[in-house]
Amino acid sequence: MLEIIIQGRGGQGAQTAGNLLAATFFAEGRHVQSFASYGGARRGTPVSSYIRVDDRPVRVRCDIERADAILCFDATLLEGRLLAAAHERTLIVVNSGRPADDFARALPGHRVIPVDAIAISRRAGLGRIVNSALLGAFARAIGMPPLAALERTLAERSPKLTAENLAACGDGYRTVDALLAEEVAA
Amino acid sequence: MSHATTDTQAADVAGTRPGGARTMLLTGNQAVAWGARLARPKVCPLYPITPQTPVLEQLTEFQADGDFDAEIITPESEHSVMSACIPASLAGVRVFTATASQGLLLMHELLHYASGARAPIVMANINRTVASPWAFWPDQTDSLAQRDTGWIQLYVETAQEALDSVIQAFRVAETVLVPAMVNLDAFYVSHAMEPVEVPDPADVDAYLPPFAPEHKLDTARVESWGNVVSQDMFYRHRQSIQQAMDRVPQLLAEADRAWHERVGRAWGVVERYRCDGADTVVVTMGSMCGTARDAVDAMRDAGQSVGLVKVRLFRPLPVAALRAALAGVRDVVVLDRNHSPGAGGILHQELKAALYGMPGAPRVHGLLAGVGGVNVPPGKIVEFVRQARAGDPQNESVWVR
Repeated sequence: MLEIIIQGRGGQGAQTAGNLLAATFFAEGRHVQSFASYGGARRGTPVSSYIRVDDRPVRVRCDIERADAILCFDATLLEGRLLAAAHERTLIVVNSGRPADDFARALPGHRVIPVDAIAISRRAGLGRIVNSALLGAFARAIGMPPLAALERTLAERSPKLTAENLAACGDGYRTVDALLAEEVAA
Repeated sequence: MSHATTDTQAADVAGTRPGGARTMLLTGNQAVAWGARLARPKVCPLYPITPQTPVLEQLTEFQADGDFDAEIITPESEHSVMSACIPASLAGVRVFTATASQGLLLMHELLHYASGARAPIVMANINRTVASPWAFWPDQTDSLAQRDTGWIQLYVETAQEALDSVIQAFRVAETVLVPAMVNLDAFYVSHAMEPVEVPDPADVDAYLPPFAPEHKLDTARVESWGNVVSQDMFYRHRQSIQQAMDRVPQLLAEADRAWHERVGRAWGVVERYRCDGADTVVVTMGSMCGTARDAVDAMRDAGQSVGLVKVRLFRPLPVAALRAALAGVRDVVVLDRNHSPGAGGILHQELKAALYGMPGAPRVHGLLAGVGGVNVPPGKIVEFVRQARAGDPQNESVWVR
């Protein structure tokens, strides 16, 4: 079973991102469970979205205490409680304009891939709405689901600005692709 | 009261199959709304509250799209919601509503009234912590505190079971003229999106005919409800509610069987999971059953004879079914995600009473596990069972985490 945590703040779209990711895995023939929990659904308070992906129906109903991968919408949330859910192989994608070296120094023992999703979203004409950019980046980082499958989900479900969301998703995907290629070259 | 929205639309992923059933990705709340839509109620009084609000949102969306032909009423409180449900039901139409936590507590007075008036309303309740302090986590104290109000109570584990149970609940409630509550845990079910098969509306129509009570409030044929009565009449009225409740386990089993024949799914009144030859059985309700299944599988893999009994019907408590399911078991480990101060776990108390006097009754260990939404992963359940088996049961419920 693949277990993913998406951490954001109310209004950023972490819950939506979790559901979009789950919908994509489901469309790919996998069994999924995606749920969010939050302290009070206020804009700005932390919201956790949990996604489980498996080849058989997901029965377990509890929080994910050890995630295989984490997508963090806000670098200020990348601390104690969230990091406690990460082991040394947990892949963490974080929305941040800071370089990867910064995170490597600040969070030794964690594998952190920063993506400047705000810059990507602004280029795509989405302002500060970062979930499509982050989903593209995350999909490339963990190697699934395929970009085309993610794009199909976004095309079906974006309430508006579909082209912009697809552009941001693709840009996020390619940004991480380039980052990983650099690492391999180095 | 703050409320949350699920802004991802439910999408029809797998398309329509020949039978007309469709597999969709739905949250528990959306599945509840689908169950209500398929049951074709005529009146739906509703008041929003986290984490029930998406039920209301989905029903209003169905209505706006022309797919839900019910009168949706949005009064100023949950008390008024139930006050609207009762006369609508007594007027002879099918009534659905949904609430959670504080909202359910605000209805309390009218919950008694609804069962006393024999109004077979069906209500979904999203189990959420009760204030104070303020919180939004899964905890069943809200509905368990209503156990004496005369409502049938079901506790479900999945979004699919939530959908199916709303429809089954109408069938049973309208047969005995007792209201029914379908309870699902906050977030773990209410906000968990998962594959759900939405049945063919024709199948539901055949399964659940329109509500046509023998008596109803009708200005053309005058009858009255709720008059002042003598002691004797009150006494006999309570007896008749008891008789109706006594029929429920059997009626639910029949409703479940008929549902299985039609759509291929059954949930049981009490479900035994891997209980054959079990010397220890975990007993719990709601979403924790799913987690317990993984724990049971792990313990079975390790050579331990452990099973799970899921209590789906809590009111009326299916005593005969529970006694049969737990006969011959040495240790019963009750997991209560609720808390009655001074008494402990409510299922623990109820189960001890149900098994009292049974020859060779199991040892009953009551664990307050997951109270206030504290996380209970499978590994914890394995540990709880290990500790319970090693020690003697206490009369009181024990706090564990």
